[in-house]
Amino acid sequence: MRKFSAILFLFVSLIFSNCAFALLSLELTRGVAGAIPIAISPFATEGSNPPEDISAIISNDLQNSGRFKVYGRNSLSSFPSSVHDVQFDYFRNLGVDNLAIGQIRSVGYDRYEVTFQLLDVIKGKADAGQQAVVVSKKIEVSGAQLRPLAHHISDMIYQQVLGVRGVFSTRLAYILVQRVPNGPTRYVLEVSDQDGYNPRPLLTSKDPIMSPAWSPNGRQIAYVSFENQRASIYIEELATGARHIVSQFRGINGAPAWSPDGRKLAVVLSKDGSPNIYVLDLATRQLSPMTHDWSINTEPTWSPNGRTIAFTSNRGGGPQIYQLNVATRAVSRLSYDGDYNARASYTGDGNHLAMLHRENGVFNVGLLDLNGGSFHLLTNGADNESPSIAPNGSMVLYGTNYSGRNVLGMASSDGRVQIRLPARSGDVQDPAWSPFLS
Amino acid sequence: MKIKKLVQVMIVSCGILSLAACSSMHKSSSDNADMADVNGGGAQSSGLGDGSGTFGTDGMSPQQLLAKHVYYFDFDRSEVNDNEKPAIYANADRIMANPRTKVLLEGHTDPRGSREYNVALGERRANAVAEIMKSKGVNPDQIRVISYGAERLAVPGHNEEDFKQDRRAVLVYLQK
Repeated sequence: MRKFSAILFLFVSLIFSNCAFALLSLELTRGVAGAIPIAISPFATEGSNPPEDISAIISNDLQNSGRFKVYGRNSLSSFPSSVHDVQFDYFRNLGVDNLAIGQIRSVGYDRYEVTFQLLDVIKGKADAGQQAVVVSKKIEVSGAQLRPLAHHISDMIYQQVLGVRGVFSTRLAYILVQRVPNGPTRYVLEVSDQDGYNPRPLLTSKDPIMSPAWSPNGRQIAYVSFENQRASIYIEELATGARHIVSQFRGINGAPAWSPDGRKLAVVLSKDGSPNIYVLDLATRQLSPMTHDWSINTEPTWSPNGRTIAFTSNRGGGPQIYQLNVATRAVSRLSYDGDYNARASYTGDGNHLAMLHRENGVFNVGLLDLNGGSFHLLTNGADNESPSIAPNGSMVLYGTNYSGRNVLGMASSDGRVQIRLPARSGDVQDPAWSPFLS
Repeated sequence: MKIKKLVQVMIVSCGILSLAACSSMHKSSSDNADMADVNGGGAQSSGLGDGSGTFGTDGMSPQQLLAKHVYYFDFDRSEVNDNEKPAIYANADRIMANPRTKVLLEGHTDPRGSREYNVALGERRANAVAEIMKSKGVNPDQIRVISYGAERLAVPGHNEEDFKQDRRAVLVYLQK
């Protein structure tokens, strides 16, 4: 069985390495009027052609964040690659405030020296361009590191211009479901880059896989697998693929959620008859019941300070979001809008809860302000599921249905930007956004 | 009661039709496995578009009742519909008569809503069938329950007719 898995893994890896495309590709479905204009001049190349188009990757990153309006290869008529080539008047007339320039020099043996500079166009003058340089970087990398480097440059630009850490170097975990005609359905737990590139399978199974959850350090993923007709919670190491079972009681073993310090896992077990929330200490294996009643209690999620757990319960009739004090186990209700609220997750500052919200039979992602109590929707239409918040709080990732298939969507936390990530094969669902990885 | 007649006709014709034709209506592997030993009773989950939604047991012979292993539920509900009970009773009798038999009851939901909440809902459905069997006298050790929530749909479609087929509990006889 192990051997078989290894071969299958190899087979799947081969398929992916052979196709030059990403499994997912971003598609901006709704942009913002107030996006910041920025010019990304195509990087000059010297020597053998690099395997990646760095400036195109940066342009895509920034454009798809919804926060920028990018002027790139197709909309510029001047392609400067060093400061003294820049005609600042041209860029000022375009209306851009920022300009990214750079060069990629092949230095042999698949090594490349990448130079990057971000310029403040307003400050720049033809005779004293150096004053305009706000970020400057020179790095030597291998061909395979060019794409991660491009995302790193996007992060630097995002941080410099918006004052917020970018999420272009983060990853997504999700479940790929491939229905095979006249054969068993294939379920694959995958991890890809934030832009959908480099999908890598962590687990392939003929039985369902669900609820992937990133450990706070980004090195492990907990998930539920239905292998051998049982629901079990596993923890898998991303680097090695090694995994172990952490929960396999009778009944439901579901909805794993890491505590912020990574030492505990909140889980849902129905071993005593009804689904209740427990906290499992990963070092001591001690299991502490958090709820204990006959209603449905599920989908725990920790507040950033680790003191409270929000969860879904139907104790009042339909599913609503409740909050549990981890120390006292006192419970209070958080959601009141609508007759169905579920699958909550806290924003990084702990001030908001994203959740699944049903209204008139339609499932949307909504954001509840925990201080003011106001609630607003981030999506409109389709059957959405499993909202997951970006580590910088800028976007919410979720599963949605588009043209009869399950795909991933992203919406900005103000609801003004929406992006769809269509799958090139099968259904993609149940996503989880990684924490910052470096 | 035109619809009932139609259902009866479909039950009979499905028994005559080849199994392949029946099972091609179903995409879920667990349902297919179930279909293989069902024969005539396959009609109950075929969803041939009669629109009545009564996937019940009206007019079924004792043999057909015993062969019916899929029990349907209403939207957001986990109570067993009365018209599904005769088939559950028939199977309970069979399980009681064979103390070494082990069965698995799978709970399922339609794809809408939250995944883990659906797992909980699916478990309630499977438990509801298990409770009926236990109340009939089946030894609890013979029954195991698993909920797949919305992770194993009967049909991949996204309309109300598809959802009706998704909301179900499936009885699986395990090999000894």
